Amino acid sequence: MDSILKVQNVTKHFGGLVAVNNVSLDIAKGEILGLIGPNGAGKTTLTNLISGIHWVNEGKIIFEDKDITLLPTHKRCRLGIARTFQIARPLKNMTVVENVMVGGLFGEKRTLRQARMEAEEICSRIGLEKLDTHFDKITVLDIKKIELARAMATNPRLIFLDEVMSGLNMDETRDMINTVRKLRDSGVTVCIIEHVMSVIRELTERVIVLDRGEIIAEGPYSEVSMQHNVISAYLGEDA
Amino acid sequence: MKTIKYSVILLLLIAAVLLPVFTDAYFISVAITILTFMTLSLSWDMMLRTGQLSFGTAGFFGLGGYTAVIISADLGVDPYTSIIIGGLVAGSIALVLGIAILKLREIYFAITTLALASVFSVIIRNLHKITGGPSGKIVYQTLFDYDSTKIYWLMLGIALGTIVISELFKRTRIHFAVDSIRADEVVAKSHGVDIFKYLIFVFVVTSMIQGVVGAAYAQQYGFVSPESTFSAHYLLLPISMALVGGIYSTIGPIVGAIILGLSSEYLKLMMPYGHLIIYGVIIVLVVLFIPRGVYGTIRDFISERKHR
Amino acid sequence: MEKSAFWKKNSKLIYLITAIALLALWRPHAILYGIQRGSLYSLIGLPLSLTLGVVGIMNLAHGDFLSLGIYVSYMFFMNLGVDPLLSIVPVTLILFGVGVLVYKLTITKVLKSGHLNQLLLTFGISMILIESLNVIWTSRPRNVYVPYASSSMTIANFTFGTYELLYVLFAFAVLIGFQLFLKKTRLGQATYAVGQNPRGAKIVGINIGFVYLVVFGVSIAILGIVAGVMLPRSSIFPMVGAPYTMRSFCLVAMAGLGNLPGILISGIVLGIGEAIVQSIPGYSGWSDLVFFGVLIAVISIRSMRRLAL
Repeated sequence: MDSILKVQNVTKHFGGLVAVNNVSLDIAKGEILGLIGPNGAGKTTLTNLISGIHWVNEGKIIFEDKDITLLPTHKRCRLGIARTFQIARPLKNMTVVENVMVGGLFGEKRTLRQARMEAEEICSRIGLEKLDTHFDKITVLDIKKIELARAMATNPRLIFLDEVMSGLNMDETRDMINTVRKLRDSGVTVCIIEHVMSVIRELTERVIVLDRGEIIAEGPYSEVSMQHNVISAYLGEDA
Repeated sequence: MKTIKYSVILLLLIAAVLLPVFTDAYFISVAITILTFMTLSLSWDMMLRTGQLSFGTAGFFGLGGYTAVIISADLGVDPYTSIIIGGLVAGSIALVLGIAILKLREIYFAITTLALASVFSVIIRNLHKITGGPSGKIVYQTLFDYDSTKIYWLMLGIALGTIVISELFKRTRIHFAVDSIRADEVVAKSHGVDIFKYLIFVFVVTSMIQGVVGAAYAQQYGFVSPESTFSAHYLLLPISMALVGGIYSTIGPIVGAIILGLSSEYLKLMMPYGHLIIYGVIIVLVVLFIPRGVYGTIRDFISERKHR
Repeated sequence: MEKSAFWKKNSKLIYLITAIALLALWRPHAILYGIQRGSLYSLIGLPLSLTLGVVGIMNLAHGDFLSLGIYVSYMFFMNLGVDPLLSIVPVTLILFGVGVLVYKLTITKVLKSGHLNQLLLTFGISMILIESLNVIWTSRPRNVYVPYASSSMTIANFTFGTYELLYVLFAFAVLIGFQLFLKKTRLGQATYAVGQNPRGAKIVGINIGFVYLVVFGVSIAILGIVAGVMLPRSSIFPMVGAPYTMRSFCLVAMAGLGNLPGILISGIVLGIGEAIVQSIPGYSGWSDLVFFGVLIAVISIRSMRRLAL
């Protein structure tokens, strides 16, 4: 596998709670990887560790053959790691397009004019309008799109999409699936965290299942979804 | 629309420059005070935009003043250069301090800066060979030899310079960095913003401004002393001016400084003792009821109507 | 607890006490003075720690409420002839009322507004207090004389003032009082819960507004106790309490939120540090900076630890 990211024996605990327990995984360049598991399994924590919001307690993270374990968050973004947030965090003191521009200005160090043009272009690509409005005036779907556009503006090579499909109707989901495919086709490796299994089935070639901070299964969705331990992780022991 | 805006600004500028020609010495001295506080207020606001509250204005103001007077009196530096050096010293201390404390923010930063004025005061009282101790220090060659018109122009220049820097901060990428840091640090750093670097940068620049205006102010009179130079005045008034005028803007502190500066002259006549209570009350009232300030409320009102 | 486990658990404390005892042999007056002053700092810092930990607000006017208490106590003494220590009762009640009033009128409105507004608000209140005291009583320092305030004792050729031992007594009393309150009373347990997890406390039905009110009121009220005890030994002027705000915060930073005994220990350590510096001839004026140096050190160390992890 030509790996873009190698996670090696990473552990993270918060006080007494072990959120991620000795996890190792590789993400191949250009793949769409699914990261699934019940709530509280550690998927978002793992994303936080990779994007740099938390430091690991043990282990190493290697991105494109560079050890980024001790690298601060903003530097990891500049190297090409981007992510969206599960609960969207729009910058409330800026307009829609300004939000997206932040990604371009600092993730990729563009000039103001370039960042603006690129932001407008990304927004039209994913169907985000009303560029110059503030937050009280846009829909929930738009807020999700801002998350995505802003992350895309940082020109990433690896992007983590944390539950971007939640709350979307069928058309919007189809739209988003196409956007993700186009993203991968443009050369970005995607890791998608989801609870909507139909999306996982359709988009991903490979899936990693997390439960209680540990990897319990790995492989194509069709196989993994049949495994007993995976089913019982979601539904409980007697399922 | 734009030409109207520019012509208004030009007119105001010309009026400001010509002010001393048409008014008397008393009014000029009021104007000098307003400009001084305007600069302090604006520089305070610039730091506030990063989301960090600095209570250090009086500290850096006094530091600049003391540096300028000391090097003029003891090292024979001319007053004009001393102003620049006052600013540089304030900026350097801000740099060292910022590196030590800006990794922990909010309350820690606010309180440490609040202690600055009294800490500098104590240091100055102790090093009395250099600083003249509690009785202060005098330098005999004052700025422009008390010519208030020239002093006014200097203060106007400093204020205008600060306005320019504030606008620069709002029109370049600094604006995006600062606003994103203030809105959500996690998002900012996840999108490549080096938070520490920007915070230090803004802190050093604003402290330098405060040092410069402090140096100029002190050199007017050629006198500094721990009580008068580090007075809480230089913290209380700028903050209330920015709050009244409207924080997070360039025009807000300007408007606030003019409103409060003029009314403080009136207040001083009406309530010779205790007019400072009013500023505390103003801060409390604005925080509780009109957090956007005068300019902010007007601006929001206008944009509400635009989007109707 | 087994003997060896006891020594291990409290080892840091035991080293500290030993160090203090040794220093006491070297500079007895300084150490005694330091313990007394330090206890005063702790006494003032404990209520701040409670407010900060439970309500989550940094009250920049904390020391200025102390100044208010001192002036009220002064009025009781000058106008009604009430002994300072006795005046503790009415002053405490008055300050509790003031605290409740300030809380209801202003603090409730900024509880959800974020740190900026809270700091600005309490800063404004601080300025109002200082300037009002200045207007009413001018900045001329006043003093109060009570005969027992200058009492002293001699032990083995060592003579020392005894009044200020009251600070130590009250500091321990307040600390123990807080601990008992938090552990043994229903309101105290509710307070502890709110301090740990406000949302969780609300869900189980605790009236957090009431808890906040009581905590804020009590923390100001305790300053009334301090005011009465400090009155005979302090010079009285509007800014008398202001330096204590800073020092109290320094103690909270040193001890960490929620660590009440830590406040007492940190206070005494700080007091001793200041006293030692003060006893060095030629450098005594620098003792006021000890707390600032400690504050910066604590912040720098803490921020480095976050990075290293």
